[in-house]
Amino acid sequence: MMKLDEILVTRNWVGKPVRRKEDARLVKGEAAYVDDLNMDCYQAAILRSPYAHARISRIDVTKAEALKGVVAVLTGQEVARETKPISARAITRPATQYVMAAEKVRYVGEPVAAVVAEDRYIAEDALDLIEVEYEPLRPVVTIEDALKPDAPLIFEEAGSNVLMHDKMQHGDIEQAYREADLTLKEKFKVHRYSSTPLEPWAIIANYERASDSFVVWSNDQQHGRSLTNVCNTLGIPINKLRLIVPDSGGGFGIKLALWPYIVILSLLAKKVSKPVKWIQTRREHLLGGSHAPDANVEIELALKKDGRILGLRMTDIQNDGSFVHTAGIYGLIKFATMVGCYTIKAMGTELLSVVTNKAPTVQNRGVGKPTMIFVLERMVDIAARKLGLDPVEIRLRNFVQPRQMPYTTPSGEIYESGDYPQCLKKALDLVGYEELKGHREEGRKKGKYIGIGISAGVEPGTSNLGYYYTARGIPEYTGNAEGAIVGIDYDGNVNVLLGSVDSGQGHATTTAQVVADMLAIHPDQVSMNAHVDSLISPFLGHSGVYSNKFNDVDLGAVIMATKKIRDKMLRIASHALGIPVGELALREGKICSTKEGEKAISFREIASLAYKKILFLPEGEEPGLKAIAYYSNPIAKLPNRKDFNIQLTHSNSVHIVVVEVDVQSGAVDFLKYGIVHDCGRQINPGIVEGMAIGSTVHGIGASLLEEFVYNEDGQLLSTTFMDYMKPLAMGVPKFELAHMESPCPYTLLGSKSVGEGGSLPSLAAIANAVEDALSPFGVKVTSLPITPEKVVRAVKETKEI
Amino acid sequence: MFPNRFEYLSPSSLEEALSLLKTHPDEAKLLAGGQSLISLMKLRLANPKYLIDLGRIADLNHLRDDGDKFSIGALTTYAQIKESELLRNKCRLLPQTASVVGDAQVRNRGTLGGSLAHADPHGDMPAAILALEAELKAVGPNGARWIKAENFFITMFTTALGPDEILTEIRVPAQDGEKSAYLKAARRPSDFAMVGVALSLKIGPDQTCEKIAIGVTGVTDRPYRGAGVVKALTGKKLTSKIIEEAAAQVTEGIDVMEDVNASKPFRSHLARLYTARAIESALQA
Amino acid sequence: MHRIKLTINGKGFEHEIDSRLLLVHYLREKARLTGTHVGCDTGNCGACTIIFNGKAVKSCMILAVQANGAEITTIEGMARNGFHPIQESFMDKFAVQCGYCTPGMIMSAHALLSVNPDPTETEIREAIEGNLCMCTGYQQIVEAISLAAKKIGKSGNK
Repeated sequence: MMKLDEILVTRNWVGKPVRRKEDARLVKGEAAYVDDLNMDCYQAAILRSPYAHARISRIDVTKAEALKGVVAVLTGQEVARETKPISARAITRPATQYVMAAEKVRYVGEPVAAVVAEDRYIAEDALDLIEVEYEPLRPVVTIEDALKPDAPLIFEEAGSNVLMHDKMQHGDIEQAYREADLTLKEKFKVHRYSSTPLEPWAIIANYERASDSFVVWSNDQQHGRSLTNVCNTLGIPINKLRLIVPDSGGGFGIKLALWPYIVILSLLAKKVSKPVKWIQTRREHLLGGSHAPDANVEIELALKKDGRILGLRMTDIQNDGSFVHTAGIYGLIKFATMVGCYTIKAMGTELLSVVTNKAPTVQNRGVGKPTMIFVLERMVDIAARKLGLDPVEIRLRNFVQPRQMPYTTPSGEIYESGDYPQCLKKALDLVGYEELKGHREEGRKKGKYIGIGISAGVEPGTSNLGYYYTARGIPEYTGNAEGAIVGIDYDGNVNVLLGSVDSGQGHATTTAQVVADMLAIHPDQVSMNAHVDSLISPFLGHSGVYSNKFNDVDLGAVIMATKKIRDKMLRIASHALGIPVGELALREGKICSTKEGEKAISFREIASLAYKKILFLPEGEEPGLKAIAYYSNPIAKLPNRKDFNIQLTHSNSVHIVVVEVDVQSGAVDFLKYGIVHDCGRQINPGIVEGMAIGSTVHGIGASLLEEFVYNEDGQLLSTTFMDYMKPLAMGVPKFELAHMESPCPYTLLGSKSVGEGGSLPSLAAIANAVEDALSPFGVKVTSLPITPEKVVRAVKETKEI
Repeated sequence: MFPNRFEYLSPSSLEEALSLLKTHPDEAKLLAGGQSLISLMKLRLANPKYLIDLGRIADLNHLRDDGDKFSIGALTTYAQIKESELLRNKCRLLPQTASVVGDAQVRNRGTLGGSLAHADPHGDMPAAILALEAELKAVGPNGARWIKAENFFITMFTTALGPDEILTEIRVPAQDGEKSAYLKAARRPSDFAMVGVALSLKIGPDQTCEKIAIGVTGVTDRPYRGAGVVKALTGKKLTSKIIEEAAAQVTEGIDVMEDVNASKPFRSHLARLYTARAIESALQA
Repeated sequence: MHRIKLTINGKGFEHEIDSRLLLVHYLREKARLTGTHVGCDTGNCGACTIIFNGKAVKSCMILAVQANGAEITTIEGMARNGFHPIQESFMDKFAVQCGYCTPGMIMSAHALLSVNPDPTETEIREAIEGNLCMCTGYQQIVEAISLAAKKIGKSGNK
């Protein structure tokens, strides 16, 4: 692997908070989100099931078709005829489902028909004219409902509502239990929530009759995969779909599940002669735009009296709603870092993926790890309380030590670097822990219930794809990689085309910083369009913006392509100047002699030789100054039930939260929120800090405010942003942050994952703080969200949230 | 997100508005600030055939000091009430309440009259006007009448206004040394009230309560006056014990609502808690 | 159908529109000003915030027909050339990530600073309580608005 000094020839930009290139047009309102693209389109609207579980006995679209302004209508029957069923990935039982319901609906909001009209208002009017007769079936809403022996089956052919059931053991769990002094068992319940990007799903589909092909614009997060999924489902060759991803107003994993709607929009586009646009409304987004699954988790720790955790056993029953494509995929990606920051040597895990009549699930920010860290860090606090240990002390006794890095966990995950004890100590200093403890005691005497909550979490990134296949064999995707094309323009500036997009992470800026330091130029001379076009972008199946892979494989591809270009420029310069490559250096847009500084050739002149005066090129050197490189993370292992690294970089952080709980009203107020965060080498600290805070606020929402509430008929009650409550400016604390940098030995710049960050440990930190605040009342927190009613009831009678 | 079709009518006088209302008795809705109605229309939960926009009727937006009373036009916005120095000096409860309705954008458009006529059981302003013992002017084809606040709210989204009547004015008495407070239990500061208690009280020497009026919102299908609490406090010296005992009366005889944010028992608890806290808050003002 | 005439960012617009057309859709589709965004259905997210007759409002909660005769400022009107101090400050402070809430935030900030040139942190948070952001957690936005207040105060600009 290249050393940092080989990669970067200057250190002017990497590590600095360079102002983002993206911002100029964003602050002016000149972004190009899908709905902003200037195209004359028809508009689509989707008719959605009002029932959670029902058979469709009749559908009549004649009145809708006759409405003035309507140009096309599509029903589920047609979709079932024209397309293949949705591909499943992790489940081990058969379950047939189409992108639009044909015979049966399985969740409120499932698409049943679609209309195309002159404008969206008319399209919505037309929906009211579609007549559908349903035969309602008994809905299955909770995990308990789904597991009852007489439960109606969501997918009859599956024979069960448990579509995946997997048990795994890593390390010697029996030995751990034999050596343990005690065991501690708890049950936890985590709810459904979602990161709800502010820009919902958006698709424009155009059918080009002459070539029998489609052009689609969409804010899809993983176009590499969507291309395959859409083409397979439509039964068309890959070269018949051109997928373009423009600006995206936030993804957070939620835009990984929109490809079935690209299928629907493509079918609609085929019926008309203009592009068709569909912009998801917020109601559609909350109803069927994908959630993080709710889960019942039972966990047991095997411990020594001194607080060391020897092993853990866990059963996780996950409510995956009714979407076969994502049911069960959370599995290993949750368990891979189940041991957290600790040297827990053995774990036994059992995962059940249960389908119900709730909305589809998707890899929402954190992909189950927020739940797992919540469960583990809660257990650590519960163990501390039981053993009479300070929550700091018990963590210090269990942490993986820096000298053990790189550390391989029982399941094969490789923690490449990190200093967890130092991170915790720094966090304690940051918040003034000792003083806070005094403050808390003083408060208790006065009837003020202050609590301090600590959470230490590993924040992984770069998914080794195929993690969900361990129950089924060799998956369709393995490893993780990205592609990049780097070129020098005629005028000597650099242009970069990356295989992936971004959704707010400042990829163009970060890329420019790296390339600028590789070529000794200014980031203003590096342009990158963070859009993607499947016709020209160098993408792979893994391409997309998800699991924080950018700092690893995306930058890796950029670096390798830039290096190719740099090497070529050096060869051309050497030939032009008559100086050996070893005596040349890059400086301010030129390549110069290290001995005689005046002997130099500019990038512009080199480009001129490469693109135009090609007869002056060295012997055997191809014309042109553009290089493509694909870069793969080097430590990815093949899927293997015993030894498998699911994610390939591991940042980490410690969150320390101080709350005051009003035990009479149940309100939880933040007094302090400290974060110490280590993502390896930071390339742009301004961008990193923004994401560290923003991701933590997702955790605040998930812990205290957000919940998808279903009634017993499977009706979703949280269908607006009035009911589904997101954190707003007045309710969010001011955060104090500090950073550490433990470089990663396996990425080219030593940078690690940034993005999911704070959304992972925050749920645990907040829950730990609330439980600490309520400890005079003996209250235990075993579920989320923590609502005022739950707090008051716990204090007064139940003693459990 | 996309309303059904309707005909939009924009009268420039009250007479014209009344005439339009008379012409379309069952299928028309009056538009004030739109912060509730337009939302319902976007969700297609309200589908009027005729929408009569009162926004162009200049007379309906005013704030007048009539000596012993204030006259507030129905189309006066929350922002105007919040920023009114006149009200902040002479009738604080109104700006106190208007300040915590929604957010800045909502306050710039939402109106006092619109809020009261809409009668959302979780609305904030109804509590305040009950506590101020306000009077509301309803104008219909047969002339004008004054409705006491305590008789205005019938049930959720239903008021004493006739289908052909328009709420034009709210009259509140000028305050003379009263202390007031509006406190609400809400999940976020800009949310509707799970429970909201507004009160205006006059303290005599020795901390005795000479007069108190209370408006409670969010608890049942309509805002109400907390008569039991008023009885338990009037003429009494306001100690913590008296306040707590009085606050316990606030849900007596009330059918407490239940929803996702609060069950019956919790809501009752919040009602008692916030009644006591509102009294304490007013005393400290 | 109704004929409306209004001024947006100092320029006159005139259109025939349906009574049910929302102002935000009018701005985006008829006036072709796509900087104002739609993020929800119920007026909760503030992505559609504009200045309407001098006040910050949510344009998804107003009918286009109500805007007849109105004077509107959208994000596109914040600076003809270069950047408004609020825009500069957002860029200085990394207050922008995906950019979807940004125009609405800037308009709310503009409304605040027009009447309160030296707001406290609490006042800033109150002014943007009606603007949802999913990316930043608000902290850098608050810092940006605070910085903008200083910038505007120094230059005497509005």
